[in-house]
Amino acid sequence: MKYFEDIAAGEVWRLDRREVSAEEIIAFATKYDPQPFHIDAEAAEQSFFGTLIASGWHTNAMVMGMLADCIKTQQLVSLGAPGIDQCRWLVPVRPGDVLSGRATVMATRPSASRPMGLVTLRTEVFNHVDAKVVQLDGVGMYGIRPSPGSDATA
Amino acid sequence: MMYLEDIVVGTIRQFGRYEVTEDEIIGFAKTYDDQSFHTDVEAARGSIYGGLIASGWHVCAMFMRMACDAQEGQNRMASLGSPGFDDLKWLVPVRPGDVLSARTEVIGARPSRSKRDRGTVSAKIQVLNQTGAVVLEMTSMGRFFRRPAEAET
Repeated sequence: MKYFEDIAAGEVWRLDRREVSAEEIIAFATKYDPQPFHIDAEAAEQSFFGTLIASGWHTNAMVMGMLADCIKTQQLVSLGAPGIDQCRWLVPVRPGDVLSGRATVMATRPSASRPMGLVTLRTEVFNHVDAKVVQLDGVGMYGIRPSPGSDATA
Repeated sequence: MMYLEDIVVGTIRQFGRYEVTEDEIIGFAKTYDDQSFHTDVEAARGSIYGGLIASGWHVCAMFMRMACDAQEGQNRMASLGSPGFDDLKWLVPVRPGDVLSARTEVIGARPSRSKRDRGTVSAKIQVLNQTGAVVLEMTSMGRFFRRPAEAET
């Protein structure tokens, strides 16, 4: 297990590649963001964007999927997140894109009110031509190491 | 078609009704946020949340659906998508059985300095549950075309 105490400012967590398909773009947007340029390839061609593009919320959900994989791989004791200070969708995500990226630990501090730590993370995800598609600056909550002799389990 | 000029700062809209189910919470999280407090009822009970909660990104997605539905049948906006959002706060966990609604307030609408044909609108977004508690808030931005000089309304 990797606890709050094991996380240091300056660490970089690799986010593994995730392929984006037209089917997934359309399926997500049909349920959550049914605008023509997200769900209809022909209408998208006539749109400002010129092709089908993923909903920004879908992009962020995929980034979260990559982060959740990273949390599992590192056995990080993640307790969720209070919010995101800033999100910028920089380049549209299109069918066939292959995303990968990194999350950089900018700062860490213990919570003043609860037995946990707060980690400020900058998450940057790029497409297969290395254009940055999204940058998220947010805070995550992580469990603290149980003290010896306590019966706390993670 | 509606353009940047049609957006009035101060406009408040309340809309939407989204019933949140356990199945949908788990289904979303298995694909996009596979952490046990989002995907496993038993494990969630033992977590700091005391029960299953929706992924925060799922709550954002549910808001977007309510916003799209509210737009349906209205004059379409000349939308250029969104550059992002600021100050997103997940304030209260969203749980199975919750019924969500939304409130938006336009707080800014300004033409672009560099591209004369468009501008940016900012709005304060809130998502509420059935008790009136604000579960999510953020300041979102949208880019829209300005009305072309020769366009009809």
